[in-house]
Amino acid sequence: MTNDSYDKPMPEPTPDSAPYWAGLQQHKLLLQKCAGCGRIRHYPRPMCDACYSTDVTWVEAAGRGKVHSWTITHHAFVPGFRDELPYVLATVDLEEGVRMNAQLRGADPVSLRIGLPVRVDYERAREGLTLPILRAEG
Amino acid sequence: MPLPADTDASTPKYLRDKYAIVGVGETVYTRGSGRTTRAMGSEAVRNAMADAGLKPGDVDGMLSYQGVDSTFGPMIAGDCAMRLNFYMDVFGGGSSTEALIGIAIGVMEAGLCKCVAIFRSMNGFSQVRIGGTGARSAAPVSGDMLHTRAYGWQSAGQSFAPTFMRYMHDYGTTPEQVAMVKVIHSEHASNNPKAYYKKRMTVDDVVNSRMICKPLHLLDCCVETDNATCIIVTRAEHAKDLRHTPALIRGVVGRCNKPRMDMHYQAGPISRVAGWYAKDILWPNSGVGPEDIDVTGAYDAFTFTTMLQLEDYGFCGRGEGGDYVSSGIMRLGNKRPNNTSGGHLCEGYTHGMNMVIENVRQLRHDIDDSCPIGPDGKRQHTYDYKEGGCRQVKNVEVTANLGWAMPGTGSAMVMRRG
Repeated sequence: MTNDSYDKPMPEPTPDSAPYWAGLQQHKLLLQKCAGCGRIRHYPRPMCDACYSTDVTWVEAAGRGKVHSWTITHHAFVPGFRDELPYVLATVDLEEGVRMNAQLRGADPVSLRIGLPVRVDYERAREGLTLPILRAEG
Repeated sequence: MPLPADTDASTPKYLRDKYAIVGVGETVYTRGSGRTTRAMGSEAVRNAMADAGLKPGDVDGMLSYQGVDSTFGPMIAGDCAMRLNFYMDVFGGGSSTEALIGIAIGVMEAGLCKCVAIFRSMNGFSQVRIGGTGARSAAPVSGDMLHTRAYGWQSAGQSFAPTFMRYMHDYGTTPEQVAMVKVIHSEHASNNPKAYYKKRMTVDDVVNSRMICKPLHLLDCCVETDNATCIIVTRAEHAKDLRHTPALIRGVVGRCNKPRMDMHYQAGPISRVAGWYAKDILWPNSGVGPEDIDVTGAYDAFTFTTMLQLEDYGFCGRGEGGDYVSSGIMRLGNKRPNNTSGGHLCEGYTHGMNMVIENVRQLRHDIDDSCPIGPDGKRQHTYDYKEGGCRQVKNVEVTANLGWAMPGTGSAMVMRRG
């Protein structure tokens, strides 16, 4: 436990994912782009499953997408999230052609639907950790 | 070097019916066992040996699966006075049952041992809860969990829910249709003296129970329990010296996967499950198809998992899962009952073992319900499926188990009466 009492699971950046987490600190959603064949992939991982290259560059995503599917959590599986219940988790098709997961904030549950346009926003969770969140577009 | 012309390298069909499940056993399904996984595991293995009529020297192989929540095989084997010629403890949960049966066949075919006891022992309620609460929620976030757990996305229900939601969206399936899985399994459980939940439920009970993670209500979720289970596999020819009619193994699929099974939602239709791929191994290897199956054991971690698997294995057409599970076809007395024990939703959560055990007993025509025991020591089944009544399906010849780990991974097995 740290002095700001952050009691949620804390990501541990790896050599493959550190640029992703660092990008979030600067309010940028960075995606891996294969330096061999150009394919974009997410979540961050060491090898391109199209050409087996391990060389990557990082590109900034537009931060726009559409809800592919979603769920609303009503039960505190993890104690640290108890105060946020109920919260929406969404799987989103980004414009770049990959899917990402995040919490969707501020949407009226009645308006939640597959295909809902969303944009990526950023939330400082604690010192040294910014998480991406999703907001309904428009 | 080329193979001789008379060698068919794809030989699974030659193993059809060559191996059999000859013994099954379990401990009581409880919440708060007050016992170690070693105590329960040894008891389950002992019970399965007694069920088969096997002595310690007859069992020389052991397999188990666990998620750092159980006792390893050597302790259980030692307690059961076995000297093993082969053992392996593997990591995993749901879908391991059928996969380990396949491994058992493989190691026996390779000559490593002659008779394998497969066990799973878990204090799934009082110690490590697979639902993700308790000790599991405190684990550090690493690997692929970076993109789920940091956002409060952890339990099995949460991670499967987007698959269920997308399926409902694409095919217009209603929560009331899916709730029928729980209703029917609860009817079956009411005829199972071992079941943890024996009360019959209604569709209203399910859809009015509290929401856990939409679209999953509390009663769409299985009941985490403490228990141990054991299945003993050996060559079918050895079964004639043993106590029961063997359950012959026709074909097995072990941990078959969707593409990118590390994060299944990344590839293909999110609502498609591993059974879509597994069916192309299961049916050809077994030499039968869905229409030949008398009883199914479609893994019910959640009501939805039963439905999605039955559909992707071909028991109904694409998008027809809701109609299938709400039609009543899965009910005792009807065409193709599913999970006659009550399954994970009602009997207890065993990571798949109890659904195979149930089908073994169905194939023996000797299910352990409340029917009276006759002078020959066998139950006199009434085939009256009223509450508290019979659970034996008439004239069962062929069963199918459809095991689930997650949307991206599944196992399956067809058995027939020996």
